[in-house]
Amino acid sequence: MSNLKKYPLIEMKGVTKEYSPRKRFFSKCQNKVLALNSIDFSIEKGEIFGLVGQSGSGKTTCGRLLVRLEEPTSGSICLNGEPINKLKGIGLKTYRSKVQMIFQDPYQSLNPHLSIAETILEPLVVNGLGNAATRREKVLHTLEIVGLSPADDFYDRYPHQLSGGQRQRVAIARAIVLDPDFIVADEPTSMLDATIAIQLFQLLTQIRKRFDMAFLFITHNLAAANYLCDRIAVIHEGHIVEVNTANNIIQHPEHPYTKRLIQVQPGFDFNG
Amino acid sequence: MLKNHYIQRFLKGWKIFIQNPLGKMGVVILVVFMLMALASFFVPHINPMYDPMTGIDPDIKISTGPSLTHLLGTDNVGRDLFAQLLEGAKVAFIVGLSSAFFSIVIGTVIGMVSGYAGGMVDTILMRMADIIMVMPSLVILLILSSLFGQFNIWIIVFIIAIMRWPAVSRVIRSQTLSLKHRPFIEASRVAGASHLRIIFRHIMPNVLPLAFLYMTFRVTSAILVEAALSFLGFGDPSQVSWGMMLQWVWKSGHMFQAPYWLIPPGVSISLLTLSFYMLGRAMDEVLDPRLRKEGQS
Repeated sequence: MSNLKKYPLIEMKGVTKEYSPRKRFFSKCQNKVLALNSIDFSIEKGEIFGLVGQSGSGKTTCGRLLVRLEEPTSGSICLNGEPINKLKGIGLKTYRSKVQMIFQDPYQSLNPHLSIAETILEPLVVNGLGNAATRREKVLHTLEIVGLSPADDFYDRYPHQLSGGQRQRVAIARAIVLDPDFIVADEPTSMLDATIAIQLFQLLTQIRKRFDMAFLFITHNLAAANYLCDRIAVIHEGHIVEVNTANNIIQHPEHPYTKRLIQVQPGFDFNG
Repeated sequence: MLKNHYIQRFLKGWKIFIQNPLGKMGVVILVVFMLMALASFFVPHINPMYDPMTGIDPDIKISTGPSLTHLLGTDNVGRDLFAQLLEGAKVAFIVGLSSAFFSIVIGTVIGMVSGYAGGMVDTILMRMADIIMVMPSLVILLILSSLFGQFNIWIIVFIIAIMRWPAVSRVIRSQTLSLKHRPFIEASRVAGASHLRIIFRHIMPNVLPLAFLYMTFRVTSAILVEAALSFLGFGDPSQVSWGMMLQWVWKSGHMFQAPYWLIPPGVSISLLTLSFYMLGRAMDEVLDPRLRKEGQS
């Protein structure tokens, strides 16, 4: 590497996302909704970065932009310093093999007609990695990593035969099977109860340690973000109001909105 | 294990299906007609005079009523009516199932593509569907066959299929629209799956049950259209069918003289279409839990 300048893994530069209502004939009114307003942040390799905000604050939009499920209206997103906005075809496919996503609802994010194996195999198959035998090995190995063991037992099951926590583990397995550099986790535990949530947090921490993956952890729960994240950004109505290390955010909140968030947090905050 | 999953699903659906009196009756009638259709392959081998098209009883010169050698009697040239009825069952199945199958394939693919792609593609495909949907298929068939002479049975099947896909594609499209934004589709996009893969691997298995439901209703309408066309004298002249039998009884002036000739094909058409309709209604109940009675699961 000749270039001395070190780029962060993922960087959002002045990203703005506007939703405008579908244009119809004869209608002149345009109520645009500004979901994200000039967002800037960067995530380093192996870091868990929390994005905390209330419903409608634009945090999920932010995650969807990062995996290119949506396009920003303006601004740019860079992976290792290279802009990804214009990627198409092979380039986009390569990008997607490096950036994966875990969705909020484990009951909706697995196709009911595909077995667990087929679900986790899909990223490998569409990216043309390995042959049948090595893929099978990889899937079994990944199932063990996410704590679904014995893996053989889960391999041929279908989503409806699993509990919510197990399904979310399958979703995590699908996200990590390509060994991505970066994973967007969009409220992965909001549909699950607290004990299972903690187990999943521990799983994510293990995965981070083991594979040095970076996470964008999107949540409305400041306590969860504090437990899991290295740094936290607080997002409010499309603006990032504060970015700091997790400790600093909780101990010394600066922005009034952050202070309010901490105040409304229920008393039993867990510390692991 | 994979097959096991589908068998389990099927058995579960079958249990609900067969509990429904409509489903039960539909299956029974359907099985009877299937046996008749199968029998049509063997009857000509018993005696060449039982061939529905060319077999003529040398002793009979006029239409006769039921007897031991001819269970339903004969037509005015001495052909066996029972053999024709069996042959008609076979043709009804061929026409009904194949044209329903073609229209389902066309309708499902167009519906999925249109719903998934959206925008311009959606608009063009759906306006095309609208145009075809408002055309009366029987009239179109009559015009075409009077322009180009009498059609082969397969061309009739094909035209019925072409005329009948739009309703299917509308339903499949709306189903696809609701599936399109489910997280599992997005997850597959994030994994890098192509649009074709998403359509056929993720959307198709989820819309297929609905497609099969519509197939049963298409069968009904295809059989009726073919029968009407044949009765009006525009059918395939080289092919015996129930509609053809009705056309012959009319043309030979036996309409009111030979009830044994007139009634069986008419009743068969009604019963077979009815059984497919009942099948569809019972299947509807399997697919839509809201239609089930309390206590069924």
